[in-house]
Amino acid sequence: MTETPAEKDDELLLRMRSGDEQAFIALYRRRQAAIYRFALHMSGSAATAEDVVQEVFLALIRDDCGYDPELGTLAGYLFGIARKLVLRQLERRRTDVALGADEDDLAIPAMAASPDPLAILTRKEGIAALRRAVQMLPPRYREVVVLCDLEEVDYSEASFVLGCPIGTVRSRLHRARALLLEKLHRDGHSRPLDALDPARCSI
Amino acid sequence: MTCQEFWNTMPELTGEADAEAAAHRRECPVCAAAFDTHGALAAGLRAVAGEFGRLKAPGRVEAKLLAAFRGQAGLVAPPPARRWWSPVLAWGAAAVVVAAAFPLFVGRGALPRAPLANRPAAAGTAAIDWTALLPPDMAGDAQAGAFIPLPDADRLPQDEDLNVVRVEVPRSAMIALGYPVTADRAAERVRADVVMGSDGLARAVRFLDE
Repeated sequence: MTETPAEKDDELLLRMRSGDEQAFIALYRRRQAAIYRFALHMSGSAATAEDVVQEVFLALIRDDCGYDPELGTLAGYLFGIARKLVLRQLERRRTDVALGADEDDLAIPAMAASPDPLAILTRKEGIAALRRAVQMLPPRYREVVVLCDLEEVDYSEASFVLGCPIGTVRSRLHRARALLLEKLHRDGHSRPLDALDPARCSI
Repeated sequence: MTCQEFWNTMPELTGEADAEAAAHRRECPVCAAAFDTHGALAAGLRAVAGEFGRLKAPGRVEAKLLAAFRGQAGLVAPPPARRWWSPVLAWGAAAVVVAAAFPLFVGRGALPRAPLANRPAAAGTAAIDWTALLPPDMAGDAQAGAFIPLPDADRLPQDEDLNVVRVEVPRSAMIALGYPVTADRAAERVRADVVMGSDGLARAVRFLDE
């Protein structure tokens, strides 16, 4: 039996549960890349990302965590497992680097050389710098940026993955973007930070 | 609308759907500049997403998972699960066996080999008559217990070159073979007959002072 074009995740999962190998392959190929990228952006390590993908789908095969379609989508459920695994890894490695912490080795030289760092964000060096800045965010902000901005997960699904209300997702994303801008401008020194701080304008 | 109220709507996330927020941006050049900056950041993040959008897990992950799925579905035997305690258990078991068997090989040395005539002639997997291997001077020991085959000894070919050695071992070595031994007698020496294979490994053992 093969995957039909519009077959939903839950239908594939049902077939997979009955031992249909093709359904498992289809589900894996549909979802693995996003899980891999999420783990990669979160950990900064391809080996960790690979391990996470493997563990996430092993959990699905063994039905370890009890997916409930009433609570959220399968994609959200898979992201949720990946998130727990990544956070565990980060805790183990203790590589979390908060913004404002010792960042000498994590400076963004490409941005510093530019008269307007934001203008080059979509160029190659800007992309690399922005990615590094994302990886320097504290995990609680990094995960929301990776999910909502990089993987384009909607707020509702992100709230399921992160286990918090949608409002919290939005406020974390708002704060995360402010931290990113702060980081980029601190390294670029091209514009006064005051101009970027919404709370300091006068109206 | 004040600047604070403007940013409280998180316009960079909502796309400035609120007309009042749009009006504020037109009136406040600082907020307008900051809003544009957020737009540039969003574009940069989209570029990052695009740059890494084609990344996916290596093919070997799918192969491993497929094997695990087949194992789970009963199509093939799954790879043995590695538990934290399995190496401990394996090494522990190995240590017990070595501790039990080691004294058997450090006794008083080999006694005369059993005559070939005394050895069972039939080959195959039938139970071995271990006592037939005993040389005459060792066969008549009335206090001796029965031979206890060590694991898989019964499945060895019976035409194997076997001989019997008599050794002394601590009584504690009997524990590994199921004998009850009290702590106060564990250090006592007991005599044992050990059937040795041509590879130098023990095939069976009996204790003379049970």
